[in-house]
Amino acid sequence: MAEDSAPPPASPSTQSGVANLAEQRRAYIQFDMLVIPLIVLLFMGIFSFHFALLVGDWDYWVDWRDRRWWPLVTPLCLAVLPGVFGYLLWERLRLPLAGTLTILCLTVASWISRYLNFYLFADFPMNMVWPSTYVALGLIFDCILLLSRSFFWTGLAGGFLFGLLVYPLNWPLLAPYMVPVELHGTMLTVADLQGYEYVRTAIPEYVRKIEQSTLRTFGEAVTPLTAVFAGFVNILNTWLWMWVGYLGAKAVWIRKIT
Amino acid sequence: MSAVLRWLVAMGLALVASAVGAHGEKAQMPQLRMSTVHWFDLEVSTTKLSVNDEIVVRGRFMPSMHWPHHVESIEDTAFLNIGVPGPAFVRLESRVNGVPMIRSTRFFRGETYEFMIRMKARKPGRYHVHPLINVKGTGPIIGPGRWIEVGGDPAAFELKAKTLLGREIDLESYGFANVLGWSAFWFLLGLSWFVYWLWKCPIVIPRFKQRDELGVDADRMITRTDRRTGLIYLAVTLCAIVGGYQYAQASYPITTPLQTGRVDVPPADPGPRVVTATMVEARYRIPGRSFRIEMEVTNHGDKALSIGEMAAGNLRFINAAVKPVQPADEDDLVAVDSLRVENAPIPPGETRTVVIYADDALWETQRMTTMIKSPDANVAALLFFYDTDGRRHHVEIGGPMIPVFG
Ligand SMILES: [Cu+2]
Repeated sequence: MAEDSAPPPASPSTQSGVANLAEQRRAYIQFDMLVIPLIVLLFMGIFSFHFALLVGDWDYWVDWRDRRWWPLVTPLCLAVLPGVFGYLLWERLRLPLAGTLTILCLTVASWISRYLNFYLFADFPMNMVWPSTYVALGLIFDCILLLSRSFFWTGLAGGFLFGLLVYPLNWPLLAPYMVPVELHGTMLTVADLQGYEYVRTAIPEYVRKIEQSTLRTFGEAVTPLTAVFAGFVNILNTWLWMWVGYLGAKAVWIRKIT
Repeated sequence: MSAVLRWLVAMGLALVASAVGAHGEKAQMPQLRMSTVHWFDLEVSTTKLSVNDEIVVRGRFMPSMHWPHHVESIEDTAFLNIGVPGPAFVRLESRVNGVPMIRSTRFFRGETYEFMIRMKARKPGRYHVHPLINVKGTGPIIGPGRWIEVGGDPAAFELKAKTLLGREIDLESYGFANVLGWSAFWFLLGLSWFVYWLWKCPIVIPRFKQRDELGVDADRMITRTDRRTGLIYLAVTLCAIVGGYQYAQASYPITTPLQTGRVDVPPADPGPRVVTATMVEARYRIPGRSFRIEMEVTNHGDKALSIGEMAAGNLRFINAAVKPVQPADEDDLVAVDSLRVENAPIPPGETRTVVIYADDALWETQRMTTMIKSPDANVAALLFFYDTDGRRHHVEIGGPMIPVFG
């Protein structure tokens, strides 16, 4: 296989019909067909568990998606798997895929869980419990890794955009729910109204960890300030998880695969 | 973390509730049930209704003066809620002393509050509906329950609202098609990126080997097409985010942040104080399921007073000779004639030692007797006095409890 070190496209099929090569290729494909679905299931499992544990209600309920906490907590938790597996897949396979793939897996798992648990079992309408969309963040992460070929720049630019864009990315989905309504002389958003009308016995109003008004004069600037702050924190966060990936890649068991 | 736990607990409770057919009301420790909130005068406007019909649950409650100190107080943060399995009903209105209970509030110990909750039936079924108060740091304090039967067609359910911009919306589906569209767009874009790399299959072993062999030159595995594709995806993604944001801003120029913050409820005027009572001693005889309470009662009024009822932990012990009460349904915790009163009525202006006996199996069946196994064996109860005109006055008593084993 030494002559394979020529630059890709690494397609050995033109190597004349050596039976061995064709057989080997078949074995490789079989390996892929076995391993990739397993990885997908694994990502679905780990990511949805981890996300439920750390983001939980912020992603479950539309009336938890505030301007301050949700766009801060979300990217920090969301960057963990892309960071770790982004490093591993790039370092070991030169595949800029982990960001998109892990978040795709999270998306599938979230939709299944909302549909089965929240809609079918617990009877909440889907328009109250839909999962936010994050796939674009994974794409940005992967594309920057591919284009920069550098973990440093991916952490810096990718991590920053990851944190910065959670809110604007979801705004087209969320904006309709932030329209004001009036109920018994109180102004609410549509999301608040849903949270009030569709009774949640175990989740009283005060449990929501959402933006409270402050005396500081942020005024209109809450959203951009949170976004930029989340972006900066997430740079460090992304580097941290890439470093964890690096530790993982160094682990002996990975080397043993060769 | 707590979010997941709470969800698991909620799911667990829902499962248990649907399996047993009723209530978690017996689960809480007896002294918590007795000395947190006294609920009374529960009324439901109907017990049988159809999807889209409305029901009003109303009543009164009084936070106990004997609220345990180790439990976070209802005077900090509380929320009036209703215990139904999921959104089987939607809540259209809830008020305490006339103030809307959309947000959280706090209630003061010893004050009496009047609540009402107006709901609309959404899913057919038979539900044990309880008013409850969630207390921050403490949990739900559950009130008495009533069985409500909902019939009809769930598909016929309707819930509309009108935004402040004048648009009528259907809350069962509002915004969801849009969410689905955007989610699908992003999902498919992401999926196509996955497929692009999957297309190079086999990818795992060959790329692993190639990467190993190339060493520091491994970046050569990335082709020009790859890079160009990456650039296109990055551009499309960023443009779609910016475009989507602009589009949303243009479509919904007026939005507000989620609304929160507490409201205050003024306590109702209690009126002149007609009667006071202090507990002298409370003994619970385990073999007889009998509670004996000795107390000192002063009648400040101008009419003789009799004791018609003692309510403790949502159990009602009735002195039928003064005012008969019948249970509203098979799970209404009323012991119809279980309260014996010695040395009453109390004449006007007099202070007397009165002894009451509350004897009923309810103590046992509602697991109130487990209080002897608790680290702080205290009791609290609400007494209802009636004067000769039938006017009612309620007074709370409370203190330590001593079990009698023989
Ligand atoms: Cu019940």
